[in-house]
Amino acid sequence: MREKRQSVQVKGKTNKKVFWTSFISGIMLLAVLLVSIGLSGVAYAVPLAGVGDFYVEFDKLEGTGYTFYPKMGETSSEASAPEGTNLIDKLTITNLKLYKDFKVGDQWIRVKITASKPVQITGLQQDASLIQANAQFSDLVLKENYSNDWTKQFKQTSSKITLGSAKLKTHYLFQKTINMNGMKLTVEKIDKK
Amino acid sequence: MRFKSWRQSRPLWGSVITIISGLMILWVPLNLYLSTFLPGSIAVIGLLFGGLITMIGLLALFFPQSAKILGIFTMFLSVLSVIGALGGFLVGTIFGLIGGSALIAWRMGSTDPDEDDSVHVTEDPVRAG
Repeated sequence: MREKRQSVQVKGKTNKKVFWTSFISGIMLLAVLLVSIGLSGVAYAVPLAGVGDFYVEFDKLEGTGYTFYPKMGETSSEASAPEGTNLIDKLTITNLKLYKDFKVGDQWIRVKITASKPVQITGLQQDASLIQANAQFSDLVLKENYSNDWTKQFKQTSSKITLGSAKLKTHYLFQKTINMNGMKLTVEKIDKK
Repeated sequence: MRFKSWRQSRPLWGSVITIISGLMILWVPLNLYLSTFLPGSIAVIGLLFGGLITMIGLLALFFPQSAKILGIFTMFLSVLSVIGALGGFLVGTIFGLIGGSALIAWRMGSTDPDEDDSVHVTEDPVRAG
């Protein structure tokens, strides 16, 4: 006796219309993303915390709404070290240079970010343990307050701040928005003793 | 012949292009890690996206019936991988979009022989005893 065996072979197909529709939608989505983050050069909420002990150098800083108060904060080498917090509402920096040195094995590697064009920042918070600069203030107020919290006992404010040829040893940096046109990131070996 | 039927029953090209795209996206953060040991979370996002896209490409080979949803995920992840992994210098993202679209556009043929000519019924005489 003989019987028949059926083997069903399923064959897939690619629908060209659906392919092109989804591909073009994807390209448009990518374009929207690139236009919104790439071309405007604006990065939102950029914290550089935990990196610790990095240097910020620039030729000139012009800012409005400046506040300074002392605090204790962490660094990459200590859990708690004396620092000062600088808050600036709106500022423009020319010739910004930001760098951090890492020890990898026996050699030092420097990660450096530079911006060739003026950098616009809003909502800056910077914790520093060293500030070297030629400073100019408008409406400068240095005030002592009565408080049990030592960080609230002293406060420095000014409506306008201008710093020239500055070098800041920074431990924490936060910007609400930053516009870095002409940005360049380099990683290079350096000679350091 | 056996390979041909295996190939035709799943979105082979879509899967292969998706896997290549995932590997390209992985390449950027892997190189960043091995050369500089930079601390930071952004390269980790690249590793995650690249790994997921590679895995989706493999899954599409073994679960062809889910090709459509896997394709949507591929496209979404490859566009987002621009953040954190530079999308394999954008080439990976473009490959991801092509692979994802191919997965979305792939349709499995109907199992009803009267409905679709893409199903072939072969009749072989078999000795039964």
